[in-house]
Amino acid sequence: MAGLTALGYISGSGRLHRWDPRFKIVALIMVSLASLGTSLPVLSGACLLMLMVVIRAGVPPGALMRDLKPVVLLLLFIFLARALVTPGEQLFVLGPWPVTREGVIAGAAICSRLLLVLLAGVAVMASTRLSEIKAAVEWFLKPIPGVPEKRVGTMLSLIVRFLPHILDQARETGEAQRARGIENRKNPFYRVIRFSIPVLRRTFLTADQLALAMEARCYADDRTDAELVSDRSDWILMGTTVLLCLCLLMF
Amino acid sequence: MTSNKQTLAQQRKMETETGGRQLRMTVYASLMAALTAAGAYMAIPIGPVPIVLQNLFIYLAGLLLGWRWGLASVGVYILAGAFGLPVFAGGLGGIGRIVGPTGGYLIGFLPAVFLIGWISAKRKGNVVYDVVAMIIGTAVIYAMGVSWLKILTGMTWGKTLAVGMLPFLIGDALKIAAAVPISKALRPIVNKTKEA
Repeated sequence: MAGLTALGYISGSGRLHRWDPRFKIVALIMVSLASLGTSLPVLSGACLLMLMVVIRAGVPPGALMRDLKPVVLLLLFIFLARALVTPGEQLFVLGPWPVTREGVIAGAAICSRLLLVLLAGVAVMASTRLSEIKAAVEWFLKPIPGVPEKRVGTMLSLIVRFLPHILDQARETGEAQRARGIENRKNPFYRVIRFSIPVLRRTFLTADQLALAMEARCYADDRTDAELVSDRSDWILMGTTVLLCLCLLMF
Repeated sequence: MTSNKQTLAQQRKMETETGGRQLRMTVYASLMAALTAAGAYMAIPIGPVPIVLQNLFIYLAGLLLGWRWGLASVGVYILAGAFGLPVFAGGLGGIGRIVGPTGGYLIGFLPAVFLIGWISAKRKGNVVYDVVAMIIGTAVIYAMGVSWLKILTGMTWGKTLAVGMLPFLIGDALKIAAAVPISKALRPIVNKTKEA
């Protein structure tokens, strides 16, 4: 669960940090979409490029490796599943299953696709303050009628604030119940209930206190957000990203 | 004059009360969205397929918050994922997830939470209505999830169902059964604000 807390904002003053968050979000969405239609060599090149961007943004490589370990395991699993089930020319035999050339290529393509989107997300999260993301999301939602953009922005930051708390509560509850021998109970129904009610009760009480604290501080929807400014260099960077994404789609 | 003043005071009081209620429901909806996100990581390790708690929280969002705030909760959850916050299963955010093979299930959460909130509100606290609402919600999630999975992967219907639905049905039945006592235990906490 460290992956959720440690991959946060890292202060810096590089080009990526100074890039207008609205552009960063558009770029992230474009990279995600462009990754859907590309071939393996281009994808792996894009992954390397994105990895360089992430490290340039100030993410320490060691911490990145540690936090991404569960994801890498997941990717490995997806890769193996693909390599084993795709029919085609046989490369070698792993235990009882044949590994095919087509399967290896398809698996590697899917993994680099997921990795590319993941790294792009890491780059944005590392270089953008939550308040900036919030302001950018509000800016995007403003023209949509019927959506209270300020409140949506508040909800987004509340989600990010609640996540580590919930995961802590879940871990604590799980440990407390293991210490009391919950593993002897084989009834899954019993265990789901006994796990969920304390976690939900506690987090709802925290939410109660949070709402009270916000009320006591006169919380209202009209708040001053982080200021968003863009200049020509922002547009130049955006243009470069568009070109790179087009390259991804073309080849 | 006095009566006028009184109504004004009453109006003020009502306004601050609805304001406080709104704020509290906003915080609760964010909490349910965060729980849905965290639910992708929470699993009860039983048997070969661990029971992942994510759709339990979708059921509870509908049952506890009602259709309006439930919809807000799930909508913000999907929005947060679309903008790259790490809230989807496996910690991978980004719009790629929504258009990816499992995106249909994510989008299916929206009509599901609406239906669960709407149907269960017809008879408040009636277990039969709650269970029927959750079964319909689950059906909608699978209808959207499996069709999208089939469109993207091009597998046959039988195979898509075998991969994308059948292994999870037992877990879902269990979660629907569990959601009934859980929502019963939590409704007093939430309703205190909802009906204040």
